Amino acid sequence: MIAVLGLVIGVIVGVFVQPEVPNAVVPYLPIAVVAALDAVFGGVRAMLDGIFDDKVFVVSFLSNVVVAALIVFLGDQLGVGSQLSTGVVVVLGIRIFSNAAAIRRHVFRA
Amino acid sequence: MSEEREPREREEEAAAGEPESGPGAEPEAGAEAVAGAGAEETGQAPRGGEGGAVAAAASREPVRLPSEGRTRLKAALWPPRVSRGQLVVALLLFALGLALAIQVRSTNDHSELRGARQEDLVRILDELDDKQQRLQSEKTQLEQSLAQLENSSNQAKEAQEQTRKKAAELGVLAGTEKATGPGIVLTIDDPQGQVKADMLLDTLQELRAAGAEAIQINDVRVVAGTYFTDNSSGGGVRIDGKSVSQPFRFTVVGNPQDLTPALNIPGGVVRSLENHQARATIVQQQKVLVDALATPKPLQYGKPAAK
Repeated sequence: MIAVLGLVIGVIVGVFVQPEVPNAVVPYLPIAVVAALDAVFGGVRAMLDGIFDDKVFVVSFLSNVVVAALIVFLGDQLGVGSQLSTGVVVVLGIRIFSNAAAIRRHVFRA
Repeated sequence: MSEEREPREREEEAAAGEPESGPGAEPEAGAEAVAGAGAEETGQAPRGGEGGAVAAAASREPVRLPSEGRTRLKAALWPPRVSRGQLVVALLLFALGLALAIQVRSTNDHSELRGARQEDLVRILDELDDKQQRLQSEKTQLEQSLAQLENSSNQAKEAQEQTRKKAAELGVLAGTEKATGPGIVLTIDDPQGQVKADMLLDTLQELRAAGAEAIQINDVRVVAGTYFTDNSSGGGVRIDGKSVSQPFRFTVVGNPQDLTPALNIPGGVVRSLENHQARATIVQQQKVLVDALATPKPLQYGKPAAK
């Protein structure tokens, strides 16, 4: 419950405070957000499976974000940034879909 | 049959889920697997104790697991527990929500520029440079034409101004404009009515010869076509058909230093007027006003000859 509240408060703060993002972070933000979403869906699935562990969630969340940003950074350095970020988004999207499917089976039994 | 199939599906799913997250080298996946194994152990221990038979556990599992998921969801959601883990997760989700909102807003705000790649930005910059150059040259052209138009408009204004001036000067000569300037006022008192038209004409000629530019006698403007006649009955003179009686008052614009001696020369106008018992007084003024106007007659026969 507190976690959900954290998400809601984060969105509200982001909408109303409108903080300025440093330019260096701008290209990595979208990928990092998608990676974090993937971690969140994984966490929800684990919770429904009854195997949720907050330490695992924190580590997976942070490493997901860092790795995704790293891949995009590397892609930018290699000159294939857009392709690599597309690839990352596709992979993360597939994982989000499979996690969402598992959550759906838990919640709706279908 | 359906009870048999469902667990198989679940197993497949689990098997499919494992490799998917497995090669991702994700700590979550590994820990999940370990924790999952732990959960299975703990979950199965009571079941084993309960039913004893593995088949019974398997048959009960598909019914229990989803409901467990729901109850877990409810349990996690409703009684809010404050623990360190929850707080850390809340913090992470707060960061996620923040980033999400920022990203959505900046995407909406800055169209495609914000997340655009370097080469796209370079292309856009080039296009903007080209556009700016085109607009710059267009601006130069427009400024040139503006300067031309202003120039010609100034010339037209200048010409109009000169024409207006010329018209005013000609109007002074033609008697259609009031005139002012240095000059004299000549007053002829003629109590005995001895002054006739020819004497007034002499006076006028003398003034013209001395360089008078605008002349008015009483309230009649003297122009090129002005004529003097004696009144047939009684005294007085008609100027341009208008009866004018003494004292005759000449208002003259011209150089006073030329006009006064011209009138005062021996045997001149003033002398001959005095011979007729009329008294002439000349007052020099720095500014006299000739305010009577003559009505110009439209030309009936003559027209300007082409140069």
